[in-house]
Amino acid sequence: MSDQTIALRPPEHRVERRAIGLWTLQSVIGFGILAGLLTAAYLIFDGARSWLGPILLVVAIWGVVVTAVMPVWRYAVHRWEVTEDAVYTVSGWIVREWRVAPISRIQTVDTTRGPLEQTLRLATLEVTTASSRGPIKVAGIDATVAARVAAELAKITQRTPGDAT
Amino acid sequence: MSTEPIRPATDVPDQPEQPAADEPAPESDLPWQRLDTRVVWVDTAKTVLSMVPASVAIAFFGAEINWNTMGPILFATAFGVLGGLADLLRWVKTRYRITETHVERRTGLLVRQHRSIRRDRIRSVDTSARFRHKLAGLRVVTVGAGQHSAAGEAALTLDAVRAETAQRLRQELLYGGPVERDDPAAAEPAAGATPAHEEQVFARLDRSWVLYNMFSFWAFLMAAGLLWGTYWALNMFGIDLRGFVEGLADWDAIGTGWTIAIAVATVGVIGVVGLAINFFTENWRFVLARVPGDRGTVLRTTQGLFKTREVNRDDNRLRGAQIDEPLLWRWMGMADTSVISTGLSIWSMTPSAQILPRGPVSVARRVVGEVLETDPSPLDRPLRRHPRRALRRRIGWALISTAAVTGLLVWLTTLIDAMHDRLWLAGLGLLPVTLALAVVAYRSLGHTVADGYLVTRSGAWTRSTVALQGRAVVGVMFRQSLLQRRLGLATVTVTTAAGHGGYQAIDVASAAAVDLADSTVPGLLTEFRATAADDDASEPVEAQALP
Repeated sequence: MSDQTIALRPPEHRVERRAIGLWTLQSVIGFGILAGLLTAAYLIFDGARSWLGPILLVVAIWGVVVTAVMPVWRYAVHRWEVTEDAVYTVSGWIVREWRVAPISRIQTVDTTRGPLEQTLRLATLEVTTASSRGPIKVAGIDATVAARVAAELAKITQRTPGDAT
Repeated sequence: MSTEPIRPATDVPDQPEQPAADEPAPESDLPWQRLDTRVVWVDTAKTVLSMVPASVAIAFFGAEINWNTMGPILFATAFGVLGGLADLLRWVKTRYRITETHVERRTGLLVRQHRSIRRDRIRSVDTSARFRHKLAGLRVVTVGAGQHSAAGEAALTLDAVRAETAQRLRQELLYGGPVERDDPAAAEPAAGATPAHEEQVFARLDRSWVLYNMFSFWAFLMAAGLLWGTYWALNMFGIDLRGFVEGLADWDAIGTGWTIAIAVATVGVIGVVGLAINFFTENWRFVLARVPGDRGTVLRTTQGLFKTREVNRDDNRLRGAQIDEPLLWRWMGMADTSVISTGLSIWSMTPSAQILPRGPVSVARRVVGEVLETDPSPLDRPLRRHPRRALRRRIGWALISTAAVTGLLVWLTTLIDAMHDRLWLAGLGLLPVTLALAVVAYRSLGHTVADGYLVTRSGAWTRSTVALQGRAVVGVMFRQSLLQRRLGLATVTVTTAAGHGGYQAIDVASAAAVDLADSTVPGLLTEFRATAADDDASEPVEAQALP
């Protein structure tokens, strides 16, 4: 059976190549902490070794696979685009997600930069609508680009009347 | 980190992310008002009344004051007395006022609390009354401004004011009526000006609905609580309920099995009767009606015998409706009916969004059609079935979850010696159940777009049918896992400011996904549609251009 994606073209822009580094670091740190805690528990509690062992093994293998595969895969998938009428993003890896929000329904535009993103000069663009389903996020774009897009979006949305619901 | 709010939050009254209140109100020299003085009498009466049972037990039944027999009653008395006194203090410390722009309330003894809600943000003004309030002609007024009850934000309540004042406040705050501060008496005709004959009544309480509310697992829990309470209460007055029951029959002769059967049946009957009584006290004189107001119409429910509850839902904020049908009761057509609206609570025990008591689905469908003023009702439209491949995905889940449970049991049996060797067979026993649920879940899938409404249906344990107005959609989302992609399926979610924030059509054919979203929100996706040339969206694009 052939793969079937939905009938939307991919958005215009890729994220920065540096984002691969960002996702690798995030994965290494996340799994490192989890495996570290499990290893500590494994060493301290003798009685629990019989069931902690298999869990530790699964986490370790899964961590290595994710760290090796996920960043490159994400880089191939993640894309974004801002037009006069809408914000359009694609993200994810195993589960892919397309999101479109009309400019007229946007309520706030933020850029956030975590410590890892700051060292890599990256930023996350967050576009919030009135829905409680969370903002549209574009992670791993260049910090200066993010700031410029946020400013542009702010300008466009201010021209649009209405209460955005 | 830089943050660029696009507009001042005040321009966005529907935005649920913003705390809807608690911003400094401009200074005003309007006088502050107290809650009604009758609250004092109610509190005093409550305090005195809560001492009565203990006094009676001691005075007339010669009950000894020790913790074994008197513990619960003394505790209840102390609780009642302290509650009454605390409420008195609250009355002393609470002031409120309504200025041109804000509703403000000051309260609190140790922690001074000052809350204000902008009047243009007010979404609902509800009145309720407990039995004691009713006797004293008082009403509790709750001013809602779309706060997130899940996030611990409370509405502003005035507990309590006189019934006439409550009526006047509602008129002022909801419909922007005249603010008559100096002469409250003069405002009353205006408050009563809503002509009764313009009311459009959709539903009244039907006694047969009690059948839908009597049979539930809660019956046993309720009966157990009730019996325990009765046992303790009677014990204090020297009546031994246990001895009475033991003397009723020769339980040894009946045998353990029958005794248990009789006990379960008795508890069940008590519970069912209890639930029935509870249904009637809660929904007594239930009426759902559309009532005119200055700012358009409101959808109003009134119900309750001892504690009356009235909820007004602004029709301008109405975005759709939802009917939920629990699986185990679908044979008798049981349904819960709610509206999808911005700024109504959905997570409480008595959600404001619910517009009918649990009842027959036929009534639910008729009422939804009338409330949405669409004929035929969007929820009655025939739904498009989802591709059969969606069933394969569900059967996959059924197999995986069964395998996971079985595997876990096998692993546990190797770890724990005390467990029976064949216990993992119980895991396999789940298979028929999970497979049946998979079929049920597949059969409930459906969607259509009609009269500007997106209608979707899904759910295994509870089948939910949702009709959402296309104009309420604030974003579109498609999700596709690897497996969904292999099967040619996709999940379409439309996000909205109302209700749950997003509604899904799960596992539509991926070829039809964009068409579905496009017909719900015409025009939004046009510029992103794939042309025949670049149909395969997964092909990487060479150059990276920046805007």
